[in-house]
Amino acid sequence: MQVSQFLASVLGQTTPILLAALAAMITTRANILNVAVEGMMLVAAFVAIAVGQASANVALAFFCALIAAIFMSLLFGFVAIVLQADFIVAGLGLNILAAGGTLFTLEEFYQDPGGLRPDAFPDIWHVPSGALTWLPFLGPAFERQSFIVLIALAAAPLCAFVLYWTPFGYSLRSVGEDEHAASAAGVNVKRMKLIAVLASGLLAGLAGAQLAMDRLHFFLPDMTSGRGFIGLAATLFGGGLPWATTGAAFLFGFFGALGDRLQLFQAPSQFVLMAPYLAATLGLIVARWRAAARNRPAPVKEKSA
Amino acid sequence: MSEGPIGSLLQLRGLAKRFGDKIALDHVDLDVEAGEIHVICGENGAGKSTLMNILAGILKPDAGEIFLGGAAISFADPIAAGRAGIGMVHQHFKLIPSMTVAENLYLNRQPRRFGFVTDHAAMRKGAVALIQRYHFDLDPDARVARLSVGQRQRVEILKALGFDARILILDEPTAVLTPPEVEELLGVIAGLKVRGRTILFITHKLREVKAVSDRVTVLRHGRRISTRPTAGLSEADIARDMVGRDMQPPKRGGAYHRLPSAMATLALRALTMTTASGRRLLDRVDLEVHPGEIVGVAGVDGNGQTELSEAVAGLAPVQAGAIRLRGADIGGASPYARRMAGLAFVPEDRLDRGLSATMTIAENVAAGNYLLKGLIGPAGLVRMAARDAFATQKIRQYDIRGARPAAAVGQLSGGNMQKVVIAREMEKHPAALVVAQPTRGLDVGAAEFVHAQILDAADRGCAILLISSELSEIFALSDRIAVMFRGRVLKILDRAVATEETVGLLMNGSELEAA
Amino acid sequence: MGAEIRTLSRAIAGPVGAVAIVLAGGFAFVLIISSDPVLAYRDLLFANFYSRSNFALFVNRMTPLLLIGLGVVFSFRAGVFNVGGEGQLYLGAMAAAATALAFPSAPFPLAAIIAIIAGIAAGALWGWIPGVLKVRLDVNEVVSTLMLNFIALLTTEYLATKPLRDQTAYGAVSFVIPQGAWIPEIPGLPGATSGAVIAIVVAPLAWLALFRTEWGANLRAAGSNMRFAATVGVDAGRQIVVAMLISGGLSGLAGAFYVLGIGHRFEQNFSPGFGLVGLTVALLARLHPIGVLATAAFYALILNGAAYMQIDTDVPRSLVGLLTGFLVLLMTARLRGNPAPA
Repeated sequence: MQVSQFLASVLGQTTPILLAALAAMITTRANILNVAVEGMMLVAAFVAIAVGQASANVALAFFCALIAAIFMSLLFGFVAIVLQADFIVAGLGLNILAAGGTLFTLEEFYQDPGGLRPDAFPDIWHVPSGALTWLPFLGPAFERQSFIVLIALAAAPLCAFVLYWTPFGYSLRSVGEDEHAASAAGVNVKRMKLIAVLASGLLAGLAGAQLAMDRLHFFLPDMTSGRGFIGLAATLFGGGLPWATTGAAFLFGFFGALGDRLQLFQAPSQFVLMAPYLAATLGLIVARWRAAARNRPAPVKEKSA
Repeated sequence: MSEGPIGSLLQLRGLAKRFGDKIALDHVDLDVEAGEIHVICGENGAGKSTLMNILAGILKPDAGEIFLGGAAISFADPIAAGRAGIGMVHQHFKLIPSMTVAENLYLNRQPRRFGFVTDHAAMRKGAVALIQRYHFDLDPDARVARLSVGQRQRVEILKALGFDARILILDEPTAVLTPPEVEELLGVIAGLKVRGRTILFITHKLREVKAVSDRVTVLRHGRRISTRPTAGLSEADIARDMVGRDMQPPKRGGAYHRLPSAMATLALRALTMTTASGRRLLDRVDLEVHPGEIVGVAGVDGNGQTELSEAVAGLAPVQAGAIRLRGADIGGASPYARRMAGLAFVPEDRLDRGLSATMTIAENVAAGNYLLKGLIGPAGLVRMAARDAFATQKIRQYDIRGARPAAAVGQLSGGNMQKVVIAREMEKHPAALVVAQPTRGLDVGAAEFVHAQILDAADRGCAILLISSELSEIFALSDRIAVMFRGRVLKILDRAVATEETVGLLMNGSELEAA
Repeated sequence: MGAEIRTLSRAIAGPVGAVAIVLAGGFAFVLIISSDPVLAYRDLLFANFYSRSNFALFVNRMTPLLLIGLGVVFSFRAGVFNVGGEGQLYLGAMAAAATALAFPSAPFPLAAIIAIIAGIAAGALWGWIPGVLKVRLDVNEVVSTLMLNFIALLTTEYLATKPLRDQTAYGAVSFVIPQGAWIPEIPGLPGATSGAVIAIVVAPLAWLALFRTEWGANLRAAGSNMRFAATVGVDAGRQIVVAMLISGGLSGLAGAFYVLGIGHRFEQNFSPGFGLVGLTVALLARLHPIGVLATAAFYALILNGAAYMQIDTDVPRSLVGLLTGFLVLLMTARLRGNPAPA
């Protein structure tokens, strides 16, 4: 089943990007450009492996990963919102802290700067093989995917629901659109931003857990390799809209999967790895170019005077 | 006078507020009776907005007390003020453009289902009921971005009333409205009074004071000057209280006579600017300004004046038409080339376009003047001493108070910022000057100074295109008055024959068919 | 005059205070984890001065940081959040190496000059792309420069592992470049590249250009308020693109200096995150070119010192990364609220 295999590969590539994109989207709707997703993901991936190795308890590892990412988002929120630091600088700082902190821990406690590779690691729940054979194409693609993939697919409509169908969503969007108007209506702007940042921490934690726990079962210092930033690009590409952002994440995931395919034809691995970054860059250019074309003034058709 | 009658709905006692060195309110007492329309008037910077922002819970007073229905109150935030029954309609609307009227009315107080889901049906029903209760012409499902200014204001009024406000504060509500919209608003206010609401109405337009109010309070320099029943007061009485002396309208220095042969310094021919959807922001604008002439462009905000000023300055592209400066076509020239050709531009928003707030006063004054004033030394380096001396000279000449060349321009007051812009733009002795809303937000003294500078420039032969939404300013300075409506210049009138009535009607587009 | 001194001292106090707090916090941390905290910190701060060769390594470490930091100053002063220093550095290094390898018989100054120009051009190109995209299409430069970093690094990795790979060496490295393209050492300081001298000279030149010319005033006007710049006749878009060309060019120059003066070949892992550290250095200096001299030196000091610290004690060198994270995180934080509006 070539098609199903490819779909499965797309799903695998898309999931961390989609979760990162939703994480960035939530804060974008509260007027924060979130470059810190990358760092939150990295810490979640590291904690997942470290705790899983130490406890052999998969649930504990998963939840510790989420908590670690949320803790990082809390730190980001504290600095960017409470201390009013520039959130791009603070976000980059968080990423440096995440990279430095994980590397330091590897060196100090595991005596191996190269990574953390447990001999045995508990497996998370995957859709069992053969459980979905009744569904053509799509069914086999979902088999052996982790439950985090399913969460990610559910998270996109959930985000849309929260943004457009709850009082909380309305308040959040009002903060993103006009902080003064929001606070005049009594919306607590800082609280909204903090909640958005914490939600982004949860989603980034899921993304990091998926990276580390799904198949690989090890941690590398550069494990996230820019997926947080690709997610941010997907959010900008999708204009902060849940469905368009999800579509963009799938688009970038598709190119990632396509790159993997090309590897079979002996394409150099670097160009294969480059595919999602190129796709994200070009996608962003196309989106902005179309917006610019839409806003171009119409030519004057001379009426007879 | 300061002890109001027992039982006044709202009593203010000794309210004081200062921002840094500036005293905004100097121990103000005020009584507002239930069910009255009470106008607060005063010049820009008199403290009207500060007072109202304290009442609405946006600012906290440094000293003083507020009694509502006899009980002392203080508000932590606008929401607390709203719960206590004080609603405010801001001059700058606080609406979310992408949301509908109903969604804006219910922002942060939506009806819920299951405790966390928005009840869209109940929200829409409530919005319809509210709109009908006050007989407003509004579509609850329309997005605010698509509403006219007058409609947005009605949404704001409904929002303020939504908490069942007893007291409604309107901050300069007519500034952005067309004359018929103003009439409608005054009708709405009268209707609210009938329904038992108390209205505080801030304005500095004397005609409106006479039209709506029961009583009028005048503030000047943060102090309350007077509170009197409107009946029996003349506009001149109020004006004298506002300014503190009899007003002296600015006078044109030399009577202007256009030479029949003189070529127009600035000539616009069929200037047209469109949006992406093809709507015309500027629609075949023809205009000429001759040497030494001031042509005032009147109109309600948003009828193409901003676009006109930016089109002439080269900051916004036009899709058709020509711009000539001293006979030369500059329509395709860069802003830089236009400046070199003798055009100067004072934009309507100082902080948006006129200045860089984080750069120093010296840098702001010198921008665009480096070569002209010989501020560039050998090897292309700026002669710092000369630049600072130049800035110091301008600070003295334009009386920019409390300014040092090395201070950031953002620290100055609005009036002093405007002086920095004008100092920079006048330095070249431009052949033509486009000046937009030159006294917006300035106090009386600064406004007089700016007017004098504009008149001086005209006397020196500069052709001036003056864009203003203040009719008094247009009438005080202009030789001819062009009225804009929906991107078009409807008519150009000589100052001698123009009256505020005819111009007011034109601003409303009433001669559209005739034009 | 007193006022100027006061503003200056206030400008310096912030960064120095932040560094002091983070270093003190780091020391408290080292006290807990290390058996020899004093030696660890002595190495961290002073090991660069133990010997001439240590000092040469310090000079070599400072050179790219200084150049990248100055590049960041140009882009940020023009209002562009250029996070692409790493990619610009790598492309500059690769272009210099490839050019030097392409002209194996070129004589000394010529070969080096051509290679340097190639490095600058490659870095400038990688700055030009996000600059033009921002000006023309309003593409967010943070995202575009981050993406371009990955694309640049993967491109150089391909070149260093396939066409230019030196099979006799370990890892993804190119052939050694011909001697004609080598930049000489600083006399009396063996191992230290004389590129450092040029980098140090660039700092005051950058200051002159930004703060003592009309061009610099126009660039800062474009960066602080684009609409103001347009009003006073500045072509803001062009200023921004030029600033990005300079920013990328300086990063490219840093890469070229590394290849021609230090490594003498392209090595895929030659940068320990110079791009981000260069950004840190510039922000820490509050985007002041002379300040960058000090902060780049400081960072080179502790980055190298950390290596000695790791050798002599039980404290890993990545302590610096950890501390940097905190430093950047807190660098723009405001400890007091906003002043009341006037």
